Amino acid sequence: MSSAAAPGPILRENLWTNNPIFMQVLGICSALAVTNLLVNTVIMTIAVVAVMGMTNLTVAIMKSLIPRKVRMMVQTLIIASYVIVVDIILRAYVPDISRELGPYVGLIITNCIIMGRAEAFAQSNRPLISMWDGMTSGMGYMGVLLSIALIRELLGFGSLFGYQVMPAAFEPWIIMVMPPSAFFVLGIIIWIGKAIMEREGAPA
Amino acid sequence: MDKQSFAYTVIFTAVVTFAFVLLLAMANELTIEQIEFNQEVRLQRSVLQAMGVEFQDDEQAAELFERVEQIEVNGLGLYSYERDGEQLYAKEYAGSGVWGTIRGHLGITPDGTRTLGLTVLEHEETPGLGGRIDEGWFQEQFRNKRLVDGRLEMTSRDGTGDFDEDSGEIDGITGATGTSDAMARIINDHLQQLTQALGGAA
Repeated sequence: MSSAAAPGPILRENLWTNNPIFMQVLGICSALAVTNLLVNTVIMTIAVVAVMGMTNLTVAIMKSLIPRKVRMMVQTLIIASYVIVVDIILRAYVPDISRELGPYVGLIITNCIIMGRAEAFAQSNRPLISMWDGMTSGMGYMGVLLSIALIRELLGFGSLFGYQVMPAAFEPWIIMVMPPSAFFVLGIIIWIGKAIMEREGAPA
Repeated sequence: MDKQSFAYTVIFTAVVTFAFVLLLAMANELTIEQIEFNQEVRLQRSVLQAMGVEFQDDEQAAELFERVEQIEVNGLGLYSYERDGEQLYAKEYAGSGVWGTIRGHLGITPDGTRTLGLTVLEHEETPGLGGRIDEGWFQEQFRNKRLVDGRLEMTSRDGTGDFDEDSGEIDGITGATGTSDAMARIINDHLQQLTQALGGAA
């Protein structure tokens, strides 16, 4: 990990140069599952941003108290608790979307980006900057997932956020509705991202 | 105290676990009423929709639902509602789809010759494919649909829906043959139960 511990560089690193999805290629299972409709993706990624921020904050506050032997277990416990809280809130206040997301909200627990950031950053940094790191990593995830969802919903349903934007004659691509298409779109996004980075001369 | 000692580790783990479980219990307690209320509203809307009773919003649905009675016809539990002197029935159905249970309500006329409507409350079908059973166009096909020999036939035409009330046919979902077949099986099973129970009375 780089030594950047100021808010600006962290933001840039997590959104772009070290984006969890297209540089580290973490958390792609959910990138496949929740990107067929933009609305679902927005709610899902907001949930991830919230869980990551809170997890990193909590881990950073508690880090000096946690015995090394049970460090991972405690991190998992923290992540799982926040995910369940988010799940309960979604079920109570946006029941329709909660039903659509089904098991995927619960599966945020297994998203490796969260534990990765808790281990790599929150374990060795102060609480507030850790929270910022968690949230920006979540936003990096959000950016990529929204791009995938934009392409998939547009081509798979001919709509954006549920509003029909393609002409009626447009034939929806069924492949875009199915999970494998996210792989193709993700691959193309990684390709574009890396190509731009190379042109900028940033160390990839 | 040594943070790496066995005793500290055990105590720390126990305390942290307790604290987070408490947090979850509180979150659950605070939202349980809202969640139950949501489920209740969904059930009411579903029953009314299955019977083709129209309403503007949740409040009106709750009001109309007060007039819905739960009755038993020849041992079959039904919802019943009287609209302009005409009796409407709905039954909860459930059966296995491709990935999990599909559950909802099916409305039927008292003589068992037409379905009034269909709703899907719960399903775990593939999003975008079988999952489209919860879309309006699919469910609208069941509106006042005449049964042919007490059954509805699932066809695979262009996947845009069959809105001919007398065809006795439902257009299945393109790319979701498994779910379409499962729906046909579930609905015809329940239609059989319904026509048997109602036929005894008619």
